[in-house]
Amino acid sequence: MLRIKPTLLAVAILASAQASASDDDLHINGFMSVGVGMLSTDDIAVSGFDTDANFSNDTVIALQITKQINDKTSATTQLVSRGNEAYDTNAAWAYVSYAIDSDTDVRVGRLRTPFFYYSDFLEVGYAYNWVRPPEEVYRLDAFSSVNGIDVTHRFTMGSTDGSVQTYFGRFGGPVGLAGEIYEFELKNFGGVVLNLNRGNFGTRLSYHRADVYSDLDATGSRALDGLLAAATFFGRGDDFDIAGQTSQFIEAAGTWDNGDYAVVAEYTALRQDSEMILDDNAFLISGAKRFDTTTVHLTYTSQRDLTEGDTLQKTLKSNVEVHEQSYILGARYDYDTGTAFKFEVQYQDEKTITGVDGKSGMLYSAAIDLVF
Amino acid sequence: MKFNLITRFSLCLCVLLGANAYAEVSVIVSTNNANASIDADTLSRIFLGKTSNFPDGNQAIPVDQTDGAAARESFNDKVLGKNSSQLKAYWSRLIFTGKGTPPKESGSDADVKALVANNPNIIGYIDSSAVDGSVKVVYSF
Repeated sequence: MLRIKPTLLAVAILASAQASASDDDLHINGFMSVGVGMLSTDDIAVSGFDTDANFSNDTVIALQITKQINDKTSATTQLVSRGNEAYDTNAAWAYVSYAIDSDTDVRVGRLRTPFFYYSDFLEVGYAYNWVRPPEEVYRLDAFSSVNGIDVTHRFTMGSTDGSVQTYFGRFGGPVGLAGEIYEFELKNFGGVVLNLNRGNFGTRLSYHRADVYSDLDATGSRALDGLLAAATFFGRGDDFDIAGQTSQFIEAAGTWDNGDYAVVAEYTALRQDSEMILDDNAFLISGAKRFDTTTVHLTYTSQRDLTEGDTLQKTLKSNVEVHEQSYILGARYDYDTGTAFKFEVQYQDEKTITGVDGKSGMLYSAAIDLVF
Repeated sequence: MKFNLITRFSLCLCVLLGANAYAEVSVIVSTNNANASIDADTLSRIFLGKTSNFPDGNQAIPVDQTDGAAARESFNDKVLGKNSSQLKAYWSRLIFTGKGTPPKESGSDADVKALVANNPNIIGYIDSSAVDGSVKVVYSF
């Protein structure tokens, strides 16, 4: 992982501010979100919030520097400091881009994994209406960056514009699951994304796959170690081990926006060869209405683990099964070009949490989002 | 925003003074550009970075006027159908992914006209009163 001391970001901002005045080929852009959120009850868990006001979970500042090296080549880095990581600065993106022709770009380096419709601008709060994308669908956080290569080709067919993005790479690093740390490695990690736009309509379809390796240990004390130990005890350790099994992820999204009304729907499904991590389905549907500078939006989202298998598999899986849904009602107010205020109320209904009946409650959020 | 106030004030004036006071805007290309006319939908796709080509297949490089210029506000509203906040949100989805950059801000009517006249790939918009023989009008509103 690329790590830079927080103070370096400030130095970079100063240095780049001076550089931009003299260098036409250096582009500096940034975004910032300051958010606060609070739960109505400790019975539920949403995006790391609790019943005391939390100012750090949704707070992020980022600076993106792009240097045009020549007509065809540019270098880009996006440095991000997140409140929920003690404001350590990481590089979410760091890549060199090469234009093969005016419609085809190749990028090599650290890229954002294009799992979702909002993946590319996942942390740019200003770019969407929510305070944060709904966590039911926007999971797989730990794998949101990939080190590798991608090729994007843009095309036009009549009045339809589209692009095809293909990527291939590798991920390795610590992943937190339910408060415990596991080492994961994703090899042969890749996928393809198709985007089509015509008039007010847009659609995005994507497929992703990886061979997954982890440091699971049947003698260890973590929850998944325990599950592996239990499966091994019943003579089924091979089904539950994670050592090179394939995981697949598919996504389909549709959008419609006529300037006054907007609708977005997104469906995602995770499928694992290993029985250790549960398959699941998740989707969201969201509508928005703009009134001049104010946008009001309503979203329904749901995530459900699948527990199919034989009797033993069902029994073991149902111990960690999750099924939850949320309704989100919010408003965005565009204060001026580049600044937005947001308020949001989320009703979280946890049907099943680790195999037992869950509770429900509210999350109240507010945020200021800027781009510059 | 000072510019917004001025724009709103001048829009009110336009309404008061009647339709004649409303400044017509022309979309212009070089006289060496082969495209005779370009419809609003295609203009919108060029200026939103959805396509990088003119209808005849040649590369299109859109340029904007300075932020707050009357012709730009009019173009955004009538051709792109988006206000400045919506455009900012649209471009912030592309800028931070390296998938696109907004048209370069290139000054006033005279600056844009000079750029367009000298490069058959550049497309811009200017107040119709500033149009002369150095450029070709492909759309006006």
